[in-house]
Amino acid sequence: MTASPCVNVCHMNPRHGLCVGCYRTLDEIARWSALDEPERAQIVATLRERRAQLGPLRAPRPR
Amino acid sequence: MTPRLPASICVHQRGWLSSNNIVFIDSEREATVVDAGYVTHREQTVELLRHSIGARRLARLINTHCHSDHIGGNAALARAFGCAIAIPEGEAANVRAWDEEALHLASFGQRCERFAFDSTLAPGATLGMGGIAWQAIAAPGHDMEALVFHAPEEDILISGDALWEDGFGVLFPELFGEPGLAATRATLDTIARLAPRVVIPGHGRAFGEVDAALERAYARLEAFERDPEKLARNAFRVLVVFHILDRQAVTLEAVAALLAGTSFFAALNERSYRLAPAALADRLVRELTASGALRIDGELVRPG
Repeated sequence: MTASPCVNVCHMNPRHGLCVGCYRTLDEIARWSALDEPERAQIVATLRERRAQLGPLRAPRPR
Repeated sequence: MTPRLPASICVHQRGWLSSNNIVFIDSEREATVVDAGYVTHREQTVELLRHSIGARRLARLINTHCHSDHIGGNAALARAFGCAIAIPEGEAANVRAWDEEALHLASFGQRCERFAFDSTLAPGATLGMGGIAWQAIAAPGHDMEALVFHAPEEDILISGDALWEDGFGVLFPELFGEPGLAATRATLDTIARLAPRVVIPGHGRAFGEVDAALERAYARLEAFERDPEKLARNAFRVLVVFHILDRQAVTLEAVAALLAGTSFFAALNERSYRLAPAALADRLVRELTASGALRIDGELVRPG
């Protein structure tokens, strides 16, 4: 079972619409627990690409 | 395999710092959520809720128990949606007075935002969520006032931190001199009698192999019963990791300051390790680095 990509840094980057910790969209986070294994693996592969392409994402404001 | 849940239930599962948010579509117009996550994640929690409930109104927020990883988003959700908040009745006095010590906030090195609740739930209360009838059941052990919610027709249990797929939440009450071990056994017995088909826990995925989860939980409880010192050490490790997940990067000195500065850690240290705070910080970080829960990054300690 593909583990959740959450790294406990849960903030959305408004410009990209992605979580700054795991690079998922809101939809991907909200639906994660209902996805089947191939869908999870597909998302995790996509996250690697997003991370490589976008580099570090910033949270909207410092905590 | 993750079991299939009724279409009216959606579980927002993130990491361990935030509890799951269990979202119920009650009708075309209204929704309910059980538990709100940690305070630092509150903006995303609001956005996730908005995403999952669409144009509906979030009418109610219900907490299984009042720990910071379950109530941290309460104030933000109430601000964003105007939802009514219901908490277990046994937590009412501490939340009303915002007793940070009793709520284990500052004393555990944790943060939270104060909120006001609208009503309380007692064991035995019944409520509809997602078009399903649920009954509140007392589940003391991890928190003496905690509730779990059982849906007899769907055979689903919302277990909070009373039962996870692998274990249960730290048995804090026992460390404060309350009968937490006995309460945990009674709570596991209650869940075993209910024998739900599916458990939606406070952390981690919903799971269907409930017998196997109960077996692991009983084995863990027996290990604590045989050697209660394990409880204190487990609490130390969990709270240090939780604090570092919250802050993301801290110095070893900051870990020592946390251990020295809070009454709870000081009392536990006195009882089990009896080390100077700096030596205790060093030892805990070394153990947690070896287990992969933490990692060292130059001068900083980070989540593993």
